[in-house]
Amino acid sequence: MSITCRHVTRLYPICYTHLNAEQTSSSQAAAFDSIRFRLKPDRKTVGFLVTDWNLGIHSKQQSNNPRGGPRPPNAAPPGQQPPPFAGSRPRPPAPGVFQRGPAAPSGTPQTTLPPNVASTFTSPPSASQPPPSFTMRTPPPVALASSTGGPAVPPPPGAVPLTGPGARPRPFTSSPTSGLAMPPQMSTSGPVNNGPTAFSSWPTQGGPRFPPTMGGMQQPPIGPPQLPTSLSSGPSVQPPQMHPNFGNPPAGASPFTGQPVPPFSAPQQNIPPPPGSLPVSPPTQSMHHPSGSPYGMQTWPPQPGQVAPHPPIPGPMQQPRMYGMPPSPTPLPNQSMALSHTGQSKIDPNQIPRPIRSSSVIIHETRQGNQANPPPPATSDYIVKDTGNCSPRHMRCTINQIPCTVDVLSTSSMQLALLVQPLALPHPSEEPIQVVDFGESGPVRCSRCKGYINPFMKFIDQGRRFICNLCGFTDETPRDYHCNLGPDGRRRDADERPELCRGTVEFVATKEYMVREPMPAVFFFLVDVSMNAIQTGATAAACSAINQVIADLPEGPRTMVGIATFDSSIHFYNLKRALQQPLMLIVPDVQDVYTPLQSDIIVQLSECRQHLEVLLESIPTMFQNSRTTDSAFGAAIKAAFLAMKSSGGKLLVFQSVLPSIGIGSLSAREAEGRSNKSAGEKEAQKLLQAADKTLKTMAIEFAEYQVCVDLFLTTQTYVDIASISVVTRTTGGQVYYYYPFSALSDPAKLYNDLRWNVTRPQGFEAVMRVRCSQGIQVQEYFGNFCKRIPTDVDLPAEGSECAFQCALLYTTVYGQRRIRVSTLSLPCTTMLSNLFRSADLDTQFACVLRQVASEIPSAPLAQVREQATNVCINILHSYRKFCATASSSGQLILPEALKLLPLYTLALLKSSGLRADGRVDDRSFWINYVSPLSTPLAIPLVYPRMITIHDLDEKELDDSPIPPPVPLSSEDISDEGIYLLENGEDCLIFVGNSVSPDILQQFFGISSIEEIPNQFVLQQYDNPLSRKLNDVVNEIRRQRCSYLRLKLCRKGDSSGMTFFSYMVEDKTPSGLSYVEFLVHIHRQIQSKMA
Amino acid sequence: MTEFLDLEFQDSVRMPWNVLPGTKSDAANCVIPISAIYTPLKPLPPTTPLLPYSPLRCRNCRSVINPFAIVDFSSVNKIWICSFCLQRNYFPPHYQSISDQNLPAELFPQYTTIEYETTATNEKAQVGSSNIFLFVVDTCVIEEELGFMKSALLQVLGMVPENCLIGLITFGTYIQVHELGFAQIPKVHVFKGSKEVTKDQVLEQMGFFAKRPRPTTGVIAGVRDGLSQESIARFLLPASNCEFVLNSILEELQKDPWPVPSDQRAARCTGTALSVAAHLLGVCVPGSGARILAFLGGPSTEGPGAIASKILSEPMRSHKDLDKDSAPHYHKAVKFYEELSKQLVHQGHVLDVFACALDQVGVAELKVAVEKTGGLVVLAESFGHSVFKESLRRVFQSGDHDLGLSSNGIFEISCSKDIKIQGVIGPCASLEKKGPLCSETVIGQGNTTAWKLCGLDKTTSLCLIFDIVKKESSDAIAQSANNQFYFQFLTYYQHGSGHMRLRATTLSRRWIAGPGSKEDLISGFDQEAAAAVMARQVSFKMENEAEFDPIRWLDKSLIHICSRFGEYQKDTPSSFTLSPRFSIFPQFMFNLRRSQFVQVFNNSPDETAYFRMILNRENVANSVVMIQPSMISYSFHSGPEPALLDVSSIAADRILLLDSYFTVVIFHGSTIAQWRKAGYHEQPEHQAFTQLLQAPRDDADAIIRERFPVPRLVICDQHGSQARFLLAKLNPSATYNSDIPAVPGGDILFTDDVSFEVFLDHLQRLAVQ
Repeated sequence: MSITCRHVTRLYPICYTHLNAEQTSSSQAAAFDSIRFRLKPDRKTVGFLVTDWNLGIHSKQQSNNPRGGPRPPNAAPPGQQPPPFAGSRPRPPAPGVFQRGPAAPSGTPQTTLPPNVASTFTSPPSASQPPPSFTMRTPPPVALASSTGGPAVPPPPGAVPLTGPGARPRPFTSSPTSGLAMPPQMSTSGPVNNGPTAFSSWPTQGGPRFPPTMGGMQQPPIGPPQLPTSLSSGPSVQPPQMHPNFGNPPAGASPFTGQPVPPFSAPQQNIPPPPGSLPVSPPTQSMHHPSGSPYGMQTWPPQPGQVAPHPPIPGPMQQPRMYGMPPSPTPLPNQSMALSHTGQSKIDPNQIPRPIRSSSVIIHETRQGNQANPPPPATSDYIVKDTGNCSPRHMRCTINQIPCTVDVLSTSSMQLALLVQPLALPHPSEEPIQVVDFGESGPVRCSRCKGYINPFMKFIDQGRRFICNLCGFTDETPRDYHCNLGPDGRRRDADERPELCRGTVEFVATKEYMVREPMPAVFFFLVDVSMNAIQTGATAAACSAINQVIADLPEGPRTMVGIATFDSSIHFYNLKRALQQPLMLIVPDVQDVYTPLQSDIIVQLSECRQHLEVLLESIPTMFQNSRTTDSAFGAAIKAAFLAMKSSGGKLLVFQSVLPSIGIGSLSAREAEGRSNKSAGEKEAQKLLQAADKTLKTMAIEFAEYQVCVDLFLTTQTYVDIASISVVTRTTGGQVYYYYPFSALSDPAKLYNDLRWNVTRPQGFEAVMRVRCSQGIQVQEYFGNFCKRIPTDVDLPAEGSECAFQCALLYTTVYGQRRIRVSTLSLPCTTMLSNLFRSADLDTQFACVLRQVASEIPSAPLAQVREQATNVCINILHSYRKFCATASSSGQLILPEALKLLPLYTLALLKSSGLRADGRVDDRSFWINYVSPLSTPLAIPLVYPRMITIHDLDEKELDDSPIPPPVPLSSEDISDEGIYLLENGEDCLIFVGNSVSPDILQQFFGISSIEEIPNQFVLQQYDNPLSRKLNDVVNEIRRQRCSYLRLKLCRKGDSSGMTFFSYMVEDKTPSGLSYVEFLVHIHRQIQSKMA
Repeated sequence: MTEFLDLEFQDSVRMPWNVLPGTKSDAANCVIPISAIYTPLKPLPPTTPLLPYSPLRCRNCRSVINPFAIVDFSSVNKIWICSFCLQRNYFPPHYQSISDQNLPAELFPQYTTIEYETTATNEKAQVGSSNIFLFVVDTCVIEEELGFMKSALLQVLGMVPENCLIGLITFGTYIQVHELGFAQIPKVHVFKGSKEVTKDQVLEQMGFFAKRPRPTTGVIAGVRDGLSQESIARFLLPASNCEFVLNSILEELQKDPWPVPSDQRAARCTGTALSVAAHLLGVCVPGSGARILAFLGGPSTEGPGAIASKILSEPMRSHKDLDKDSAPHYHKAVKFYEELSKQLVHQGHVLDVFACALDQVGVAELKVAVEKTGGLVVLAESFGHSVFKESLRRVFQSGDHDLGLSSNGIFEISCSKDIKIQGVIGPCASLEKKGPLCSETVIGQGNTTAWKLCGLDKTTSLCLIFDIVKKESSDAIAQSANNQFYFQFLTYYQHGSGHMRLRATTLSRRWIAGPGSKEDLISGFDQEAAAAVMARQVSFKMENEAEFDPIRWLDKSLIHICSRFGEYQKDTPSSFTLSPRFSIFPQFMFNLRRSQFVQVFNNSPDETAYFRMILNRENVANSVVMIQPSMISYSFHSGPEPALLDVSSIAADRILLLDSYFTVVIFHGSTIAQWRKAGYHEQPEHQAFTQLLQAPRDDADAIIRERFPVPRLVICDQHGSQARFLLAKLNPSATYNSDIPAVPGGDILFTDDVSFEVFLDHLQRLAVQ
């Protein structure tokens, strides 16, 4: 850390005591941070904007934004957005591709939704911003490039003819400019009332599908079909296709992936395009294209030819869709129809946007054609090829284009935030991160901002100097790093040097990055042995989990372990080998604790393995007769900390009851809170705040000494998570919550959680800095870490791309000091439509989730709920107002990329953190769980995946053992079915009351529903159904990096209630149904418009 | 002399004045106070019976019936008259059969000292039927010392009687209370040494209430008052039950693991450790005889009771520092140990200290706690030294040389009304029972007529100091009426067997007043006892009186006494003579002036404290040896014979055996040493020489065997460096600057000290003035 000090001025060091890789893992909190940026007001715009493309795809193409120069003409003047857009449209037409583009524009599409075209707004609108942006991305840089400015390129996609705006294809290629600008079209296509539909860009795709479905309208989509083929040209279209999936909204991607084409077209379609579009009656139809497409992209890539053109890519994204919201919701007819529906009156629940997840693996290149490639949805399965930008697993931005002015950003109502997960787990098929050793001199860095060398540093003057992409300063190239430039202006050795061609590299840290020898990997286990813990079996479970886990710890002299137990006093164990038996050392003073020995409490694993095993086996019996009900949790962690102080390390605490004695003891506030509840919500929410500062103060000290605390709460009572989780949060640790603890079903999860916790890739004593291009400053950090120096960032730099660099200095478990540098360079835009088109819903939602979580303890619940809803409304309103003006006011128009925002928002409102009726601890846990949650896990947490499993053996699934999800609506739950619902942490298996006994027998070995056990342990029986279920569960576990708490639920008792509380689309006493919520949103927007 | 020894044999008492001055002014003139050195548990003559019943007590003054009581057998209701208050008491019914011919043992004239054993009333017999030993072991010592200590402890544990309870505390920077009763795994409770631990904390934190709610009121301690036997048995176990556990703990005992910077002393929290030990005993076994055996390997530097700073460059306090009051830790530490001693006394527990280090360990500060509880103290240079090893063994030894450790004693005095009690100098603590018998002048533990002796043994001796308050009476009439003073010493204690006993000693001494009393007083003068009393007094005054000049005080006293009791013509020094009763007294005083009690130079405060503590608990004979060592010479010319404690006793062909109590020196004259080096004693033809060499060894062994603490044995040769142990004690009649040349084969001393002859000259001169 010391290092950091040097640059004090503009960095913001964030220190983690501990950082793990958590991938998406579910629970893991890995240290995942989101960082919110603030645009400095004076930010100048970058160049111009490019034309838009359709973007449907966010994925690949989009990214390409223009980088640099090519920015389109319109540079958007900062300032008002509208203007920008306007401008934009004109922009360069999309490249060739777009044929449609042109067309589109011209057509103003609406209505007819030209399938292909992404509609985008009609021309008129165009002027205004309305058009949704879809940008297309032009495909590869290629030709299209600049594509002409044809202004609006109609995005193919948008089926609709978008009016100009929309799709402007952007030529990425050539002109890097980003395309974003494209306004999506408004989709309103004709069909709907609003005429233009939404196909918006991609709609095209949608279109296609629609077509069928829609019947009239869309169908036309023809386009789609084309798409496939045409790819290039058709581009726009194609993308749309993807959508077939529609269903899936954003993510959808799936289709693409594979073969783009096919999918689209026909396929899916059936599915209502729903996704995106919401079926709202009226309007439109939307198109939604599956966002998924993007991914699909990969496929695309392959397809060379077209490539370039492609840009259109799946435009899925953005299309706005409008729902017409009729006054009263009414079901729409078919999905497809939905689009068409003008009627609006009804909303067909089957057509409203719902997530569809693709199961196939996407290959994602982070940059294509020298353009940033928008990442696939975080929840999809993808393989990253690092071609310059870092993997989206490491950093992803809420908007894949950076607004050039603060106004554009504020008008959009979206936030610009970066989610950083420096140690994210790679996909097994990805290339490992390369380690670069610069020897004594250390990595090359900018002498002004201290930014690390990265692929975007521009070498000039025959390589003798280079320009920092972060601050714009021109540095001398160190002599031994000098290399001539090739004809393309790149260094000749650029491709051989990972730091010049990879978004993420690791540098070997030199001595100057160390304040001391790299710390050993220290694992200290602290186990509650109070009467309650012993009697519920929690102690035995913890000991057994530890016992198994020590076998998985790395061997070698650097791995050290220690153990202590505690009740009303703290018991350490001297594990030194010389002793015949471990020696128990009791520290009785829990007001003023100390470590009883200087050494020998934490011992090399190899020296104490046997002792440890013996000890762990005997601990549960040793305390068998204990009658001590008190628990000195605070004192125990403090004492353990003192023992670890010299080295730092991980402190894993197993706690079962409310800390009742000693330092940091707590009182049972819950009862207090309950009684106050009637008096007012205000008091209740206090329970979500830490009771006092003692633990916080302690935790800060822990962090100072590199001690990270993880908590395993195996409890059956209130433990005041709000207060004790402060420790984990501050030290970069994590809370695991087993409530109500079951000695039968929880030990397996406990073991697996513990095992993952200690074996996942992780780092110690980390310091992270995020640097970004000039004009952007970091406003806030969220996540589990300890921030020592409050800062303000001001980064220098300029360029047509904005770069973010995250540098993480850490110690590996093997004791090497490393700097992991991830660089992400994104195009800039002035086009509001581009912003919407390139919005990354998963990331945005992850951000919103964190912010909401951080608000909950400090604001009344109603206010937090309202804020969350407002976030959604404001974004949609902005879109409606500036990008989809042409549509009728009766339509609800959703940008393609954000079409699921209402659904997720609704789910969020119904999540346990925002429900007033939840247990205090559950809510605290939820808050705590969310704050470090990685993007891929954020969505499933609030909008769990539900699948049917009674018919598992009837389904033939291609790649994934997991069947497609079903909507979270109780209407879809049948009494004959068995459903599995998982959110990355819990897994509920709901057994309908009329399930055939045969199936019950096969799955659970019971013959009747009555025999369903309270505590469930999944077993594998010798029959295909059971085997498949196990496969499914294991696959989910793998995906979530979480073992899942399995629970059987049945109708009619509390377990059933729990299950149904996850049915977020249902109407509940305290919440709206999905359809109602859409109507609500729509009304709000309408009133704002008015 | 022998009559005094007989008296001592019967009553365990030695008094400087066996005929008492009858009035206050007479007593003041006697210089040496009316006093007695009493050894409460000195074994009684074998013929004395142990009375299995409770004693009769005077209704008025609670004194116990004794042979001096006047018994009226004639009346119907037999009556005895208390010799102290003259109260008439009826005998209880079961005494009705007594008569002239049928007396109970306590009325036999020869049983002025007798013991009662009362089992019925003693509930403690069941509870802690025997002693409890809590070992408190310092681990801040080098490995080698730790090894010695372990082996000594292991050896001793084998000797502990099976029914004794044992506990173990080890300490260094932290205090570790070992829970011996926990079977699965060795278990210790660790307390921080730098912070004082309270008794409540011990109760709370060691889980004494884990299984039952804590009583809301009242004193909580022991089985009777709220603790379960079970929770106590975790820490204090019968030796037979915990031998294995204890052995394994001791075998694995590690040096204190906290690192000690090279410029610092180890962090050792002796004070806190002792305090925890006291709390533990107070909680578990209050009122039962229990001993804390502290094994200290260095100075306490941590927490309350620290005697030195951790910084090595700050030296430990010396006598000079204490005199100048520049020892920053001293007073705080003493205060802390005073508190500790109060607690221990209250609980009836004993602190024994085994201090084994080259450095000082703080015995000077600990003295108060050890002395008030009647603890044992042993000071040695190392845990490997025989002084420590043998002494420790003796503590647990049974048989002939056992120490007769008893506990929980209460000592009370009654005496005739013309006598008041000033106080007691010795290992006891005042129970603050004030009464008409208390003098206004207080010395030692005074202002009370009852004292607590938490620990006492066969040799524990108290020095009781009295005051005569009787005014000058007009004539001899009263004298004839009753010229006896009576004293009664009652000692109620827990015998090693666990039974409670009461020993009653009743003394009668004649008093005399008026001008003709000098001869009588001289005839009753016990100069050895007087020397012992003077030694205790001067030690006490040195410790407690600021600006006290011991030499001057001793000289004045001696001169005064000589001029009072010597025969001389005024101003004619040569006419001065002393009665044989007084003849050696000046020599005792001469040696006392030169002894370690008065000359603290060259001794550390710890050593001085140690010597004084031993002095204060030893009987007259041993005290005299401390003051004036005894010397025996062995040679071919004669059998073993006492030798003059003078440098002139050294001869080349002699072996000298010097017993200065703390050291026993065998000194070989130069010729003898040469022979021995030549190996003559191994040759059969020189068997006589072998025997000559062996004789002093045997005698020394006999001394060592009987003495506690075991003295240090020094075997040296003339002109050898170790010979200083002998030379320092000798009267410097021949020094490097004396006129008389040394006798061939003799020796001279390199000292400027005056010799006894010079001292006597001066004394005579001054006495006759």
